[in-house]
This record gives sequence, structure tokens and C-alpha cells, in this order.
Amino acid sequence: MVRRRVLVAVPVLIATSMGMFLLGAASPIDPAKQYAGAAAFTMSQENLAQLRANWGVDDPLPVQYTRWIGNLLRGDLGWSTSRHESVTAVIGARAGWTLLVIGLALGVVLVGSLLLGTIAAYRRGGWFDRALRAAAYAVESMPVFWLGLAAIAIFALGLGWLPAGGLTDVRADGTSPADVARHLVLPVTVLAISQAPWFLLFVRDSVADSLLDDHVLAARARGLPGRVVLFGHALRTGLLPFLTLIGTHLPELVGGSVLVETVFSLPGLGGVTVQAALGGDFPLLAAITLITTVVVLTANLLADLAYAAADPRVALDG
Amino acid sequence: MADLALPLSGRRLLRPGQATTILAGTILAAAVLGGLLAPWIWPLDQSAVDLGRTRLAPSLEHWGGTDDLGRDVLHRSVYGLRVSLLVGAVAALVATVIGGAVGGIAGVAGGWVDRVLMRIIDTVSALPHLLLGIFIVAMLRPSLYAVVLSVGLTHWLSTARIVRSELLSLRSRPFVDAAIAGGASRWRVLRRHLLPHVAPKIALATTLMVPHAVWHETALSFLGLGLPPHLASLGNMINDGQRSLLTGAWWASIVPGLLIIVVTLALAAVVARWRDRLDPRVRAELEL
Amino acid sequence: MRRFRLRLAAAVAIALLAVSACSDPSASEGGRTDGTLVVATSGEPDNLNPILGYGSDGGTLLFDGLVARDASNKLIPALANALPTVSPDGKTVTATLRDGVTFSDGTPLTADDVVFTYRSVLDPKIDSTIRSDLDMLATVEAQDFSTVVFTLKYAYAPFLQRLALGIVPAKAFAGQDVNKAPFNRTPIGTGAYTVDSWTAGDRLVLTANPKYWGGAPANDRVIIAFVEDDNVRAQRARAGEFDAAELAPKLAASFANVDGYRVEKVASADYRGVMLPFGDPVTGDVAIRRALNQAVDRAAMVQGVLGGSGEPAFSPVPPSSEFVDPTAVGKDTADATAATAALEGAGWKAGSDGIRARGGQKAEFTLMYPAADSLRKELALAVTADAKKVGIKVNPEGLTWDAIEPRMKSDALIMGWGTPFDPDFVSYQLFHSRFAGQGFFNPGFYKSPATDKALQDGRDHADTAARKAAYSAFQKQLAADVPWIFLTYLQHTYVVRDSIQGVSPRVEAHDHGTNAIWWNIRTWKAA
Repeated sequence: MVRRRVLVAVPVLIATSMGMFLLGAASPIDPAKQYAGAAAFTMSQENLAQLRANWGVDDPLPVQYTRWIGNLLRGDLGWSTSRHESVTAVIGARAGWTLLVIGLALGVVLVGSLLLGTIAAYRRGGWFDRALRAAAYAVESMPVFWLGLAAIAIFALGLGWLPAGGLTDVRADGTSPADVARHLVLPVTVLAISQAPWFLLFVRDSVADSLLDDHVLAARARGLPGRVVLFGHALRTGLLPFLTLIGTHLPELVGGSVLVETVFSLPGLGGVTVQAALGGDFPLLAAITLITTVVVLTANLLADLAYAAADPRVALDG
Repeated sequence: MADLALPLSGRRLLRPGQATTILAGTILAAAVLGGLLAPWIWPLDQSAVDLGRTRLAPSLEHWGGTDDLGRDVLHRSVYGLRVSLLVGAVAALVATVIGGAVGGIAGVAGGWVDRVLMRIIDTVSALPHLLLGIFIVAMLRPSLYAVVLSVGLTHWLSTARIVRSELLSLRSRPFVDAAIAGGASRWRVLRRHLLPHVAPKIALATTLMVPHAVWHETALSFLGLGLPPHLASLGNMINDGQRSLLTGAWWASIVPGLLIIVVTLALAAVVARWRDRLDPRVRAELEL
Repeated sequence: MRRFRLRLAAAVAIALLAVSACSDPSASEGGRTDGTLVVATSGEPDNLNPILGYGSDGGTLLFDGLVARDASNKLIPALANALPTVSPDGKTVTATLRDGVTFSDGTPLTADDVVFTYRSVLDPKIDSTIRSDLDMLATVEAQDFSTVVFTLKYAYAPFLQRLALGIVPAKAFAGQDVNKAPFNRTPIGTGAYTVDSWTAGDRLVLTANPKYWGGAPANDRVIIAFVEDDNVRAQRARAGEFDAAELAPKLAASFANVDGYRVEKVASADYRGVMLPFGDPVTGDVAIRRALNQAVDRAAMVQGVLGGSGEPAFSPVPPSSEFVDPTAVGKDTADATAATAALEGAGWKAGSDGIRARGGQKAEFTLMYPAADSLRKELALAVTADAKKVGIKVNPEGLTWDAIEPRMKSDALIMGWGTPFDPDFVSYQLFHSRFAGQGFFNPGFYKSPATDKALQDGRDHADTAARKAAYSAFQKQLAADVPWIFLTYLQHTYVVRDSIQGVSPRVEAHDHGTNAIWWNIRTWKAA
């Protein structure tokens, strides 16, 4: 099973990398200019030509592609033209924060949606259920960056409760957990809220369904207390498909984190991706995209494996 | 609002009442008509500024207020919506062409071709599409075409799935067999018998794609990777409005934001109604 | 229906919350600095190595050049013990080093370090971005332990201005590739501060160098926060995070009634203008160029686009310069009547759609601007609106620099430049025909023998009166030919905590990375 998945994933990755390389080659961006930055405006043509030669950007395409892929496989991700650091250093310094934000947001979403969704399902049609669904719909139609701006306007600028952006207090030495936590409250909450509707509605629905299942009805008939029926029986049945939902939603989370990191100016991969895109920094952008793709594909696979492990009836070959 | 298709996933989640559907339909019709006809009803000079009337609060004269350059916020929002819907429609068409082709090949060929293609589609759907979109736009340099292409190239999957599953189910129907037995060419069978059945589902998939595309366009524009910033686009306006939040002109980002929300909600309500009439298998393919 | 109303209500509630929140901007917290000053800027340096181009105009807190500039931008000796001497033919420049200067690692400064720094800049294998600034430099030699001799290919009047470049210790690069040396991020210099840490995209933490030859800094630590986005920087400044922050004019203006901060408007030589290419039939016509020059409302741009933080511009020689010619200026406000008359006189007649035409050629052209630059976008739109009033149709187009570059010879562009240090800087490359079409130098192929001669005279003559005459001729010629429509000089705007004393702004250049208002932060005191 795993082998078959990998068998498809690898060609898709290769095709993606080739497509990306061709796009990069076709793009009008001159890496030498990107390197020189603002100084390109006061540089002579010979000066620029020399930079170009130093970078080897005029070699034929297959040569460049092979060199790039070869370097990638050897772990040399190249040199970021916009950040003037090795791509490995850029990603290494930032990936952790992105993972932290996504991980925390996912945690908040899971716990929150399980809790709220189950309650809503239990009192289906009640005011809480209706309010929750209405809120889910409203949130779901709000662009996440707009939500972020609103959160900043209210909680940072208006009430002054939380910082408007950044990861640590600017005077802080190092990164103390309390400081980081205070700075992450808004971005994590915004990301979580923006992703919550799908999970919330899903839980609410599947729990509501399973409340009508025979074994749950039986448990109720046996006179078990409502809480036990709800969390012990109904929730467990409804939970399994939840795992795959996490898998299929990872791409959305990644996209959301790019926007949230930008709005809250967090030093994660999202912010640097946008900078790299604006600066036409092919090595960095390509590396981030490819690595994220691999990570998401792997996470997807793991979610499916977990699903299979939890429910032996599922044949994963489909 | 990342993925509009999914939240409708519950079977009983949203069954809007008649009144809601009518209201939503009216809003949607107004948005689409307004977007289409705006250049004639309410023409806008995209590059006009009025430095003497900057940052006026909403009033009877300017319902949405004016922005930093003295431009009417509501007027530009309507044009932003027009651009967004246009990008959405074209990107959805691109996606439909790609998805239709891939799904068509899978559905007509069947067998191992189908299996491989479906596996590829599964894998591709796990790619982080906003990142890929950013990459495409970054390399092609920000422009209308780049945005359309980046959305189209990353959003053809559900169309492909629908076309394929429709074709597979139709292939086993008697009337198709009869046509083939009657000596009709493959192409003719596809065109005369299969296409009419598949088309409505494709239409639904295309409609569902529009809010996706709108979201993508606004997100890219917000990041500075979308349309040229002097053009009215909802993402551009919210981006510009970010500054206004600090200078006190809150309306500059609230108005375009509300417009996105209202139209998206209306679309969701209408699609939910439409979805109810589909057979469940297609709903599953659409992840409705 | 009820459900729908609920959803709408939720959205409206959020909007209202945002509204009420915004109308109540919170006051900042009080200013405590505990020996640390925090400044916020948009531009993060690419590296901290002067060889590669960091702080080529001096002003870095980490390095010193042979010369530096005082509060009025006058050259003063820094690592040289006196201003370097120039030979009568202007081709030999000799500098003697100050005694007893050491780098932060304790190595004494010698003439070899100076030689190494300048030779590395000239070395084609090194990706230095400032090599063309030193085009006139033939050789640099150490005459003895503390004497350096520069030999020039040709006399170059403002050469001493080029000696503000920071000096690096040769020893630190022994056996290393300068392009990728660790030094580029953790440098060793002679400056008032040393690098404590640099978190890319976030901040640079500097520690005072107690043994600084100019006297120990008054502050133990300086943190330079890099916040690229204007809005985010303003938000964080509003939250009281910074002691000083660079902000766009309109955002800075919003601090006027924020307690604890004051707004500093700093004059600059930083101008914006429209480059009109000679290769286009419309912008190449001198009547169109002159008419546009009269039709733009510079005063409205200063108010509407710059929020009052600027002044009208008429030439690339800034008002603060001793070389400015006050006769080569026009009106601050638009003169549509004069512009219309000029167009009519040249045969550009209004068509039925209000756009002028001459012999089948419509008075219409494209005006490009860099899409990421909101100031230039707004100027482009203002020019478009003004041009429309006199019957010229301008089509603004927001692009990235790489898309702009190949089109500069035929499409107009909002450009910006300017340095207060010498009128030769940049102007020679921008307006001399020798540089026509060389990248961003003279992209519009402006060719005027009179301008060429004036620029050359200004460069060749060492005598100030002769130079003044030359640059006066230059400004008059530009006003007649209008290769550019100069729009505004900007004031660079900052917010500074009220309690900070010792701020001494000086006229800033277009690129104010290392010469921002905190150039003398080592003497700042927090009351």
C-alpha cells in the first residue's frame, strides 16, 4: 500500500519539480539583478554581466536543471538570492515557527471543533447549534487575512491586549516561551478560527448521525448518562473519518498559514515565501514549495495509515 | 473561507429555506449583473484620483466613504467584485478544460489508465495549492493572466473527478451500448450521448470553482502578487485599506471585505439548493 | 431566512467591533530604554560587508570610512587623521590613518586593511554591487604602515566623497571567499557598535564598543528591528515597541496626537519624477514634455500623496545643495492654461473624446510604476489625472522591476533618485548621453551636448565656482529639454519617542539605509 502510494508520489514530485524549473527558466527574472537588489540601479552593465557569470545563469537549461536537482538531492538547496543566505539556513531558521503555528492551530481546531461540534449535535436544532452553524458560515466566507486585520484592529490597536505582530518582544533576549506564547495568541486563534468551520460542521454532523445509530440508541436505552453516550459512543463512531479530513485539509492550513504569517509578520516560512515571490527568488521559493509538498504528502499518507489502523474495515487500496 | 466545497459536506447542514434562497439568489444575481453591467451603469475611471476629497467617512454621497486618494470605496468595491468574478469565471473555465480533459481520458479509457490518472489526481489534490499558485505567479510575474493560470492549474481536480465518474457510470448504460452497437464512432457517442449528461455536473463544478478562484485572486492580490495595485480588486483594496485602519479610515477595508462575505454566502446558499437536486454520487465526488 | 439573518448579523457585528476599536487608538506605553534603544526600519541589509556594498555612503554603526559626514553632511576625517590630500592634477589622493584605531577584535588598523577593502571592491570575482561607483580608481597602494595612496584614471572632483566606505580587516578574510564569508553576517569593524546577533527578517542586535576611538557610546545596546511592511511597522510603533521608527508620511502623520511620540520630518535629496523616453512619438515630443511639466500639480501631490511631507521638485539638484539654481524652477501648482496653449501651439488639437492628437498620433502613453511601491503608484495616478485635464491620456501600469526594465526606452516610468552629497552622483549617469540605455542609467536615451558638457565640467573642475556655473547650466538645460518631470522631493518621516534627546537629522539620500535619522544614535540619550 505504502509502496504504491510512493510509486505515484515520486513521479508527481518529479513532474512538479520539472514544471517549476521550466517556469523559473521561462520567467523574465534576472537572478543577478535580484542579487544586486537596490544596487542594481547604480551598477554598470559590465558589473552585472560579471555577477551573471559568477552565478552560472547562462548555462543551457538541462545543465542547470541537473545541477539544481543533483544539489537538492545532495542536501544543498542552493543560495537564496533575496535573503543572501543559503536556502538551508533560511528554511532551518524559520520552518520551526511555521510548524509551531500550524501545529497549535490544528490542535485548537481539533479540540475546539470536537467539543463544540459534539455539544451542537447533542442539542441539534437548539439555539447553540444554530448560532454555531451561522458563525461557521460567516467565518467560512471571510478571507483569513481580513479576519487577521480585524483581530489586529480590535485586540491589538483598539484594546491593546495583545501584540500586533512579531514573535517576541523586540527588546527580549532570546525567545522566552511566555513571550512567544503571548505573540502567538492572535495568529494561532485567527488561523484556527478560519479553518474551524469544516471541522466543526463535520463533527457536528457525524455525531448527530451516529446519535441515531443503533448501538448508540441502545446505550441510551440502557440508561447510560448523556455525557457517556455522547463522548463514549457517538463521538467515537463519528471520529474515524475525521482523520482523513485532517489529511485533506493540510494544504488549506498551509495556505492559511502563509497569509496569517504575513498579516502578523511572523518570521516563519510563510512570510519569507511571499518575499521570495516578490523578489523572484527561484531557489528559495522552489525549495519551500517542494519541501512543503513532500511534507504534506507524507502527512496525508500518515493520516490514511492511522485511519487504516483505527478501522480495519478500510481497505486502503481503493 | 479557503475551501467552499467542503463545508457543505454535511448532509443536513444547510438546507436553506425558500426565503433565504430567494434572497441569496437575488444578491447573487445583483452581484453578477452589477459586475457585468457596471461599465455601462456606473462607469469607473480606474486611474482617477481626487486629492481634494481624501478619506471622507461614509455619507449619502459616498456610501462607502472615500479612500486615501479620494476614490469612492463602494464604487471601486463593485469593480473589484467584477474583476474577482471575471478572474473566477475564466479560471474556472481553464480548470474545467484541464479537468474535463483528464477526467474524460480517465473515464473513456478506463482500466489502468483510469487507475493511474486517479491516483495522480489524489496526489495532486494533496499539494499545497496556494504555495503552488504563489510560485506560478512569482515566476510569470504578477498579472491578470498569471492569476488566472495559477488558479486554473491548481483547481481542476474536482472537475476531473466528476467527469470521470459520470463517464464511467454512463459507459455501462444500455443506450450507450446501443449506440456503439449501432456503429456510432467513439467521438459521436461522446458528443451526442455522453456530453449532455455530463454537462450539468460540469456546470455545477465550475460554479463551485468561482468562489475558490475569487478567494485565490483576493489572497494573491493581498500579498502583492495579484493584479496591478491601481486596479480595483477586492484583494488590492483590503491591502490598501490596511493602512487606513491606522489612519482611522476603517471603511476602506471593511466595505470590500463585507462585499466578499455577502456574495460568498449568497453563492453558498444557492449552490446548497442546487446540490439537493443532484444524485448523491455526484455530491460525493464534489465533496459536497 | 432566520439563519441567513443570523449570519449577516455576525458579520456586521464583527465589522462594528472593528469600527469601534479603530476610533479609539490606544495611547502608547511610557518610554523606558534601560540602556537599549530600539529603532525600526523597512530595509534589512543584504549583508554587513562594505566590500559587497553595505553602507557605501558611510553612516554605518559598525564600520568607519576614511572620512565621515557631520550633521550638515560636511566631510570630516574619520579613520584618516585629516581629510585626504588631492594632488594638483586631481589624480593622486593620499590618506594618512588615525593612530591607535583597532578593530573590535583587537587587531590594529593598518594601511593594508584599507588597500584590501578597496582592491576587493574592484576585484571582478567578488560580487560587489558598488564597483561602478569606483570606476575612476586605477590602483590603491599602501605607502607605509599608515599611508594609503589612491591613483585615479581621471580627475574626479568628488572623489573624497567615495572614501566614506567602511574599512574591513584584511585578516578576517584570509583564505576565504568574500562572497560567502561568515564575516558578511558577523562582521568585525572599527565602529561604535559590534554585532551581537542578527535574526534575518527580524532584528539586528548591536552592542556598544567601549573602546570606540570616537568615545564610548551613550547606549549599551541598539536593536534595529526590520519590519518590511509599513502598516505592520506602524501598528507595532503604535503599541509602543520602538524608540524611533521610519514610517510613510501619512502613517507618521497619524502619530501627531499619540502621546509619547513626536514626528520628525527630515529633509532629503530623494526625488520622484516621471522619466519620459525619447523613443516614443508622444513622450519624445518636446511640446508634450513641456506641457506635462506645467500641467502637473506638485503642490497637490505634496499635500494629497505625501501628506504634506515634501516639497515640489524641479531638478535633480536638491534645494539643500549649494549647487541648486533657483532660477531653474517652475510653478508649484498646475498651470493648465499655459500647458494647453503650448499643446495647441505645437499642433496637438483636442479630439471628440477630449484627447489631443496631431497628424493621426494620439497624445497617449503608458506610465509604468513599480507595483510594490504605493507612493509611486499614487504619484502615477496623480500625474494621470493631471494629464487628463489638458487632453493627454496616460495609461498607468503597475509592474515588477524586471518587467519594467526592457520597456524603459519606450514607456514612461515613475523613477526616484537623489543624493545630497554631490551633484555629480547619479546625475552624471542619469543624464549624460554616454550612459544612454545602460540599464537604469538614462533609460530614455536623453542626448544633449549641452547637458553632457555641463556634467563633464562639473566633474573635471575642482574649483567650486566653476562647478556651480556648470551645474547651473545643467539645470537650465534640463528645464528646457524636460527629459524628466520632477515631481516632489520627499521628507523622510520618522516617529521618535518624546523622551529621546540628541536627535540630529541631516539631509538624507534616496537610499537612506545606513544614513537614517539614527546615524548618530551613539550620542542619543533617553531622558
